[in-house]
Amino acid sequence: MKILVPLKRTADPDNANKIKIAPGGAKVVTDGLEPKPNPFDEYAVESALRLTENGTNPKARLAGDSVVVATFGAKEASQTLRQALAMGADSGLLFEASDENLDGDLVARALAKVVEREKPDLVVMGKQAVDGDSNQVGQILAERLGWPSATFAMSIELSQDKKSVIVGREVDGGVIKLKLALPAVITVDLRIVAPKSITNHVTPQTHNYQEGARYAPLPMIMAAKKKPLAEAPFASLGVEGVKTSYVKFEAPPARKAGIKVKDVPELVQRLRAEAKAL
Amino acid sequence: MTRNPLVSDAFVDLLMFDALDVSALTAFDHFREHDRGTFELWVQSCRRLAREKLFAAYRPMDSAPPALSDGRVRTHPVMNELWPALAETGVINATRPYDVGGQQLPFTVATIASFYLLAANGAAYSFAGLTTGAGHLIEAFGDETVRGLFLEPLYNGTFNGTMALTEPHAGSSLADLTSTATPRGDGTYSIKGSKIFISGGDQSFARNTVHMVLARLDGAPSGTRGVSLFAVPRERPTNDGAWEHNDVHVAGVIHKIGWRGIPSLALSFGDEGDCRGWLVGPSNHGLKCMFQMMNEARLLVGASAAATATVAFYESLAYARERTQGRRLGDTDPTSKPVALTEHADVRRMLLEQKCVAEGSLALVARCAKFSDTAQHHPDGDERERAQMLLDLLTPIAKSFPAERGFQSNALAVQIHGGYGYSSEYLVESWLRDQKLNSIHEGTTQIQALDLLGRKVIARGGRALATLCEEVERDLATALSKGVDPSLVASVREALARWSALTQALAAKGLAGDVHGMMGHSTDYLDATGSLVLGWLWLWLAGATRAREGHFYDGVRAAARFWVTREVPRVHALAAVIERDDQAFLGLDERAL
Ligand SMILES: Cc1cc2nc3c(=O)[nH]c(=O)nc-3n(C[C@H](O)[C@H](O)[C@H](O)COP(=O)(O)OP(=O)(O)OC[C@H]3O[C@@H](n4cnc5c(N)ncnc54)[C@H](O)[C@@H]3O)c2cc1C
Repeated sequence: MKILVPLKRTADPDNANKIKIAPGGAKVVTDGLEPKPNPFDEYAVESALRLTENGTNPKARLAGDSVVVATFGAKEASQTLRQALAMGADSGLLFEASDENLDGDLVARALAKVVEREKPDLVVMGKQAVDGDSNQVGQILAERLGWPSATFAMSIELSQDKKSVIVGREVDGGVIKLKLALPAVITVDLRIVAPKSITNHVTPQTHNYQEGARYAPLPMIMAAKKKPLAEAPFASLGVEGVKTSYVKFEAPPARKAGIKVKDVPELVQRLRAEAKAL
Repeated sequence: MTRNPLVSDAFVDLLMFDALDVSALTAFDHFREHDRGTFELWVQSCRRLAREKLFAAYRPMDSAPPALSDGRVRTHPVMNELWPALAETGVINATRPYDVGGQQLPFTVATIASFYLLAANGAAYSFAGLTTGAGHLIEAFGDETVRGLFLEPLYNGTFNGTMALTEPHAGSSLADLTSTATPRGDGTYSIKGSKIFISGGDQSFARNTVHMVLARLDGAPSGTRGVSLFAVPRERPTNDGAWEHNDVHVAGVIHKIGWRGIPSLALSFGDEGDCRGWLVGPSNHGLKCMFQMMNEARLLVGASAAATATVAFYESLAYARERTQGRRLGDTDPTSKPVALTEHADVRRMLLEQKCVAEGSLALVARCAKFSDTAQHHPDGDERERAQMLLDLLTPIAKSFPAERGFQSNALAVQIHGGYGYSSEYLVESWLRDQKLNSIHEGTTQIQALDLLGRKVIARGGRALATLCEEVERDLATALSKGVDPSLVASVREALARWSALTQALAAKGLAGDVHGMMGHSTDYLDATGSLVLGWLWLWLAGATRAREGHFYDGVRAAARFWVTREVPRVHALAAVIERDDQAFLGLDERAL
C-alpha cells in the first residue's frame, strides 16, 4: 500500500501571539518566527507510518508499503520533508512555490496532480494548517479526485485485505465511524496519535505507540539524507491561479475580563438574562 | 503561565550557527556525513523528547526517589518509559563512531542538544550520560574481550553504566583508594572493596549495570600511580551465555537533597569473595584512563549546572511577567493598577543576572565542546594541539563556574518567586537543591581551583596561558569589527591583562617554592577567571548578533553589557585580594576558628 502525506511548513504555532498585522491590514506578518512543520501534518505522517509498519523496533516498513511526503513551498521546506523522512517516510517531493501564490483550492488541485502521478492508495493529511486554519484542502482534494473521504479522524483501522478503512471521526457529541473503500482521503485530528489509535492487523494489538508524533532517532536522521527527495518547480504540475484574495486582516477585539458570580443561582440567572444562553 | 521552554530555541540557534558555526565541523573528515540539516533535526528530536517526556517526569521523580528493597534498587516506574525513549532515539551513542553503532555526531551538537534534556530532567538524562561515559572508556581502552562483553549492550541501553571511584575515606583524594584487584589466572580479577555515592549504581529499567571501578592490583605502587581500571558488572556472563550474580551488593541508598531521580549508592564489591572484574587499559594506568571519562563528565556537570540555571531562569521570568505587585518607583497613587514584577528595578537586575549566568554558562560549555571536537578531528596537528590546550585549561572553569554562579542564579529564581518560591508548590526550590550537587561531585570547586592554577594555566611553560590570551584577543577583535561597543571590549582587555599578570606573578611564586603563596587563594583565582571568561564569551555572543534588531538580539547585547560592566570589574578586585595574600585564614591556628 502506498500512502501520500502532504506537508506544510508554518510559522511556529507555539508563538502565535507574536504575529503581527501589516499596516493597513494587508497581510499577516510572521517575521522572526521559526518555521515548523504543521503539527497536524506531523500527526498525518505518524499515522501513515503506523499504518505501514509492524510495531517492532527498529521500526520497519512492511514489504510493498511506502509513504511519500510532498510539499509546496520555498526551497527551505525541504528540511520539513527531511524531518518526515527521518521519522520514517520513504521519499519526498518538493514543488517550489511561494506561499503567497497558493490558496487552499490551488493546493488541492496541485495535490490532485501529484496523486495522478504517484497513484497512492490513500492520502492522509492534517485536518488543517495552524496558520490559516482554513480546513479545506482535504475536502476539495477528495471532491476533485472523486474519492471518498473522512475528516477529523481520531482512529483508522485498515482492513485485512487493505481494500478499505474504518475511520473514527470526532464529531460534536461523540465519535462516528465511517467505512471507506480505498483509494480515499483522510484528514486527521489530534487524537490520531494516541497509543492505540491505528490498527493495521500486523502490529500486535498489545503494542502501545508513544503518545504524539515520534522523535526522529539519530540513525534515521542520517539515513534520511540518502532517501530520494525530488525537487521540481510548482509550474511543472500544470495548475495555476488562486481564487482567494484577502481584503483586510484585523486583530480580534481584546477579550474583556470575566466576572465572578457568587453562586449557582446567580450564574443561571445571568446566563438567562444577560448572555441569553439558556 | 506560559510553558517553560527549558532552553531558549533562539539562543541555541545563535550559539550553534552564528557564534560556534557548527556547520564548519562538517569539513572534518570524521563528520563528513553530517550537515546543518542533521544537526537541526537532532536538536529538534532532543528538544521534543525533553519537553514532551522528560520534563513531565521531573517532579514525580523528585518526589519519589529510588528505594532499596530486597537488596535491589527500584527506580521510578516512569524510567521504564524514559530509558527506552533515550536509547532508541540514539542519545547514548550519538557521538560514537559508526563501527560501534554510533553516528559520529559532533560532541558540540550532542552537548547543545543535551542542554534541553538536562534542563528537563537532569537525573533521567544522567543515567544516559554515565552510560555513554562507561561505554566510551571500554571503547577506548578495553581489549577485545571486554568490548565484546559490554560495549554493545551499554550503547544500545540494554545495560547502564557507572563510574565508581569514590570510597568512604577517599573522595577528593583518589590517591588514597584502597579497593583491591587480584588476578584469578583466567584473565579476570577478583575485586574487593567499598564504594560510595555511586550514581546509577542500580536501577530497575535496564537488564544489567556495568561499574567502571578504580582499584589497586596486589603490590601496586601507592598513590595514583598504582590505580587500575576495571569493568565490573552486577551480573557476569557465564560460559553458556547466561548472566549470573557477580557479588556486587547495594549497601545503602544515600538520601539526597536534590538530583533525587537517580540513586547514589554505597556499593560493596566481593563481600563473598566472588566478584569478578575485567581490566580496562594498562595496569596502574587506571586514573589516566578514567580521566577521559572524568573530563567528559566534568563538561557534563557544567552542562547540567548551566541547564539547571537556565530552566529556573525561564520559570522565574514567566512568573515575574505574570505576577503583579506594587507600583513603579515614584508612583504614589494607591488607586493605580499594580504592575508586573518585571517593572521593578531590582527584579530586572535579578532576571538579567540569571540570564547572564545561565546562557553564558551554556555558551562556555558549548565552546569547550567545540574545542573537544577540534582537538580530536581537525586535520591540522597544530590546531588539534591548540584546541586541546584550551579545552584542558577551560574544563575546570566550565565545571565550576556554572555550578557556583548557577547556585546563586537558582537562588535568585527563588527570590523572584517571593514566599511562593520557598514553598514546594513551585518548582524553583527543587532546582536550587539539584544545583548544589554540581559544585561537589566530579571534583569539588576547591579541587577545580587547584587544578586550574596548579596545573592548567601554567601548563607547557606558560603556552596554555598565552594561547588563551590569544584566543580571547582574537574574539575581541572580531566583536569590535561586528559593532560591539568599544568601551566594553576595552574593559575585557584590561581585565585580561590584569589576570594574565596575576597568573604570571603566582606562577613565579610557585617556581620559587612558595606553594602556599601561589595556591592559597586558588578559589578566588578560579572565581576571577570565571568572571573574565564570561566577559569574553558574552562579547563573542554580542558580536554574533551582528547588530540584528529585535527583542531577542537586544537581550543578548544587554546581557553582554550587564556582565562586562558589573562582573568583569570583580577581576580587578579579586586580583587585589589575591596579590595582597593576607594571612587571615592561611596563617591562622585552626584552634582559633
Ligand atoms: C549525589 C552524588 C553523586 C555522586 N556520584 C558519584 C559517582 O557516580 N561516582 C563516584 O565515584 N563518586 C560520586 N560522588 C562522589 C563525589 O565525587 C565526592 O563526594 C567528591 O569527590 C568529594 O569527595 P568527598 O565527598 O569525600 O569530600 P571530601 O574529599 O572529604 O571533601 C570535603 C571538603 O573538603 C574540600 N577539600 C578536600 N580536599 C581538598 C584540598 N586538597 N584542598 C582544598 N579543599 C579540599 C572539598 O572541596 C570539600 O569541600 C557523588 C557524590 C554525590 C554527593
